[in-house]
Amino acid sequence: MRVSLEWLRDYVDITPSPSKLADILSMSGTSVERIEELASGVSGVIVGEVKRVENHPSSDRLRIAVTWDGKEEKKIVCGAPNLEVGMKVALALPGATFPSIGKEKLEKRVIRGIESWGMLLSGAELGISDDQSGILELPHDAPPGEDLRNYLSLDDVVFELEITPNRPDCMSMLGVAREIAALTGKKLSAPRCEVAESSEPAERLAKVEVENLEGCDRYTAKVITGVRVGPSPAWMQRRLHAVGLRSVNNVVDVTNYVMMELGQPLHAFDLNKVARKTIIVRNARPGEQLMTLDGVERQLNEKFLVIADFDEPIALAGIMGGEGTQVTDATTDVLLEAAHFNSVDILTASKRLGMRTDASSRFERGTDPLGTVLAARRAAALIKEVAGGEVAHGEIDISTRPIFPVEIELRTETVGRLLGLDISGEEIQKLLEPIELKVRRNGNVLHVEIPTFRVDLEREVDLVEEIARIYGYGRIPSFIPGGGGAKSGLTKRQKLENKVTELLISEGLSGVVAYSFILSRDLDLLLIPPGDRLRDCVAILNPLAETGELMRTTMLPGLMRVSLANMRRGNDDLAIFEKGRVFFSRGEQEHPLEIPQVGILLHGRREPLSWLEQERKFDFYDLKGMVENLIEGIGTVPPSFDSFSLPYAIPGRSTGVFLEGKLAGYLCQLLPEVVSGFGLSGDFYACELLLEELLDAANEEAQFKPFSRYPSVKVDVAFVVDDDLQSARLEDEIRRSGGDILFRVELFDVYKGPQLPPGKKSLAYSLQFSSPERTLTDEEVNSQLDLIIENAGKALGATIRGREQPNGQQS
Amino acid sequence: MSDLEHLKELIGERKEMAEFLDEALSAVEQSDSLESLERVRVEMLGKKGKVSAIFRGIPSLPPSERPVLGEIANTLRRVLSDEIARKKSVLLAEEEREKLSEAALDVTLPGRRKRLGHKHLLSSVIDEIISIFLTLGYRVEEGPEIELDYYNFEALNQPAYHPARSLQDSFYVKRRDPEKNYPDDVLLRTHTSPVQIRVMESDSPPLYVVSPGKAYRRDEVDATHSAVFHQVEGFAVDRDINMGHLKGTLEVFIKKLFGEKREARFRPHFFPFTEPSAEMDISCFACSGKGCALCKGSGWLEIMGCGMIDPNVFGYVSYDPERFSGFAFGMGVERIAQLKYGIDDMRVFFENDTRFLEQF
Repeated sequence: MRVSLEWLRDYVDITPSPSKLADILSMSGTSVERIEELASGVSGVIVGEVKRVENHPSSDRLRIAVTWDGKEEKKIVCGAPNLEVGMKVALALPGATFPSIGKEKLEKRVIRGIESWGMLLSGAELGISDDQSGILELPHDAPPGEDLRNYLSLDDVVFELEITPNRPDCMSMLGVAREIAALTGKKLSAPRCEVAESSEPAERLAKVEVENLEGCDRYTAKVITGVRVGPSPAWMQRRLHAVGLRSVNNVVDVTNYVMMELGQPLHAFDLNKVARKTIIVRNARPGEQLMTLDGVERQLNEKFLVIADFDEPIALAGIMGGEGTQVTDATTDVLLEAAHFNSVDILTASKRLGMRTDASSRFERGTDPLGTVLAARRAAALIKEVAGGEVAHGEIDISTRPIFPVEIELRTETVGRLLGLDISGEEIQKLLEPIELKVRRNGNVLHVEIPTFRVDLEREVDLVEEIARIYGYGRIPSFIPGGGGAKSGLTKRQKLENKVTELLISEGLSGVVAYSFILSRDLDLLLIPPGDRLRDCVAILNPLAETGELMRTTMLPGLMRVSLANMRRGNDDLAIFEKGRVFFSRGEQEHPLEIPQVGILLHGRREPLSWLEQERKFDFYDLKGMVENLIEGIGTVPPSFDSFSLPYAIPGRSTGVFLEGKLAGYLCQLLPEVVSGFGLSGDFYACELLLEELLDAANEEAQFKPFSRYPSVKVDVAFVVDDDLQSARLEDEIRRSGGDILFRVELFDVYKGPQLPPGKKSLAYSLQFSSPERTLTDEEVNSQLDLIIENAGKALGATIRGREQPNGQQS
Repeated sequence: MSDLEHLKELIGERKEMAEFLDEALSAVEQSDSLESLERVRVEMLGKKGKVSAIFRGIPSLPPSERPVLGEIANTLRRVLSDEIARKKSVLLAEEEREKLSEAALDVTLPGRRKRLGHKHLLSSVIDEIISIFLTLGYRVEEGPEIELDYYNFEALNQPAYHPARSLQDSFYVKRRDPEKNYPDDVLLRTHTSPVQIRVMESDSPPLYVVSPGKAYRRDEVDATHSAVFHQVEGFAVDRDINMGHLKGTLEVFIKKLFGEKREARFRPHFFPFTEPSAEMDISCFACSGKGCALCKGSGWLEIMGCGMIDPNVFGYVSYDPERFSGFAFGMGVERIAQLKYGIDDMRVFFENDTRFLEQF
């Protein structure tokens, strides 16, 4: 909200500089977002009086205004249609500057043969309103010769304020002035709301009925007859312009002016257009329509509260008036509305319509239920002042219940406990009274009476905030609490989870963060069949088109999109991981499931391009090695791997990862058609691991396992087996038959080719033996090796291609 | 006494012998290759060498001289062969080095490097934030990203008509029964604050908890908005927690995160779930409080919202606000990362360009 410093000075004496004042306001909760200096571009413009108007000899449109500048008469050529003898005007003399000519200076000019000694300015040219239809008319008592900057207080400063939703009382000049007065120790002087009224009672001129008392618990109407609608006075136009409101006409401007001044939204109806001069506050009927002031035809239903006349809706209650009853130049009689609407109803309606107005933004936060009468009187007085007319006696005031200020009990002990301050009841009273909270002290308990405009103060704790706010948050002393003791710090599982990240990074993988959304098309691209678990997605009711309508059940689409973005920018190699969640729907009754996962994607060169090495691309076993290192790194039991069919993987190039027999994830090479579906090409290796399964299998309390201190014996042995035998089965057999003394098994060669019979392959292992008790003899090692070979032959049909003698090589 | 000193003593005044010794030693020393050293060896110690000649001359000496000369010759032979062996090892080492230097490397060629992995900047920033609170005695809790309206709004004292609950601002989960869609009870959490409620429900004070995680708002993605973002929520509930504790804790936090020179200030603000509420600013990095483009002239940067937990929130978890009090705070991880590392476009975090990933 914009507030004008010049305007605020009507209610409070402001001594600090604008920037100091901004600081004071910000630090008390009324945040000043911007300070704007207004009309600093006006100089050399004075009040002038038009003495005579002469015709221009060579123009029908132009006339010559003979204008008194306080000392002498000046001839000014002027084309304004509203030029009249006796008018007080804004006279720019040669050398003057004003916003519409920018940095230039006005010069004496000859216009169509007549010398013009200056210019008469419009509100728009002065930058104080949008009006450029004619020259600005100043009040009749404006003193000719006076600098317009002084006369209209053009050197104003405007603050752009952020008013928090709990403080509707600050959405007005008076409210902000009240804050300033309290914070700077000055007195607040509220505007006078008295008006000279005629003897005709308002009730005789109009009728008001409130049908929906829930939606509108107070409706105050005042009637003014015989007004002359025209432009507002310059000072009012300037103030409205300063706070960002457009000047419409004197009557409408007064309603806006009083709303800005007191915070009570008002509406003016052309009473003669209100059918049977009857106002009915009711809900709209199905099928009713209303053309609102913004020129939009609104379709209404029974959910909307409207202001209607005898026949039809004439305004959307608390939001916007209707075109049919608006005040126009032809209006003579005005009904002023000042009402109190249910804030929730206004918020709901304004959201439903997508309309937020100055009025609705005040009603939706809560206005002062006692403020309607004062505002109506203030507005009536101003209308009488600027548009003439007679104010009918009294007001039509419909209310459901008497409204009394509430009282809250405040214990000084609570203030001390919540703020860490040692503060007395007397001090608290001194802090609260300037913001119009009445305090009655009774020992350590204070009875605080809350003015009705403070809709936010309902509880003791709300008063604690007021005290802290006025006292100053900065003055509250700082402490550090003790912390959670034994319950503090990371759990073992959280530490292990951090270790997972570290291990992935040590494998050369970089962490990415993708969106949690996918498109249903992504699942098609991954060839996920109907009914597959990956299609049990949580769907978003109101997704953004750009981000996707489903919560992800797999990390692959996100990782593929990261790849695509990088490939397009020429980042050709990728080794990335993501730690995040996937989401599964469990039907209507159960809450969706969230599963933390690790996803890995590899593509392109394994290492940075190097002069030392042949370029080497990532392959399946790079990914597998990373997963094996990860699993060993967090200390789980050894994993097992087994072929695993996945819709998006190349057959025979995917494996499940099993920990203690439970599936903990998969790794695979993606099908070329899947890769190309995502707009990519080349080999992609992907992996997803279930974090919980990894952590469950990890040995959190690892114990030292003793190892032999005696020399070890190393033997190489090559087996020939069927080509389709999984190497893991042979290795398992070797370990089983190797007994306690076999402690290391390393596969160092896999061979298929002409030196072997067709359908066979050779697997060469380096085996290492040692005993915890003594140095092994060659015989012992040989006999254990014989057993291994015999068992491998029996169980798997393995034969021996080569066998080394134990060499007693020491490790 | 070394052999050489002993020898010199034996030689005594025998001038010819002394000269021979000097000559022989310097011949060894001056040999500059294994070949020349071998020549010296043959010349001195060979069968026809000079030392052999001395031995051969002994029988022709007077008997009284013979034992002395014999000892001189023996010692001389020992001394010279030791010297030659020493010189030989020096020459061999030189030769080895010479050979090695022929295979000199271009030390400016790039080394053999493995691919280096990087932590995502948002993860690093979260870790840093968490580590500071761990030192202050906090623990880490996480909560679901798909939340119930109850935890996301209601129990946080956000009444049903709060603007943040509108369809425009939150992602809602689609239900099969369209009547249930809005106002609905399942949505993507719009902040990490629901964790407060979940922890308070399942545990009792003292509680010192931080909770990092993803949150979602229905914002079109641009330089300053993201539909997915990260927050770190924190709260403390204990006996006699007051606003001074909130201030002290967060002041320590920002000094640890942004450096000793950063000042904090607290401004009154409004949040439904705290009372009193505050916005914390820190003195601007760029201008240290003088006012610049980064801080829009104010000298301060808004960094997080915080406040004393509202008694209504305690009401939802059945804590007695007369017995316990607490504070809570919540910060945007992206904003902190942007300020700390000078990143002006939020999209950078989610595009995952490797040139971004590899910088941190």
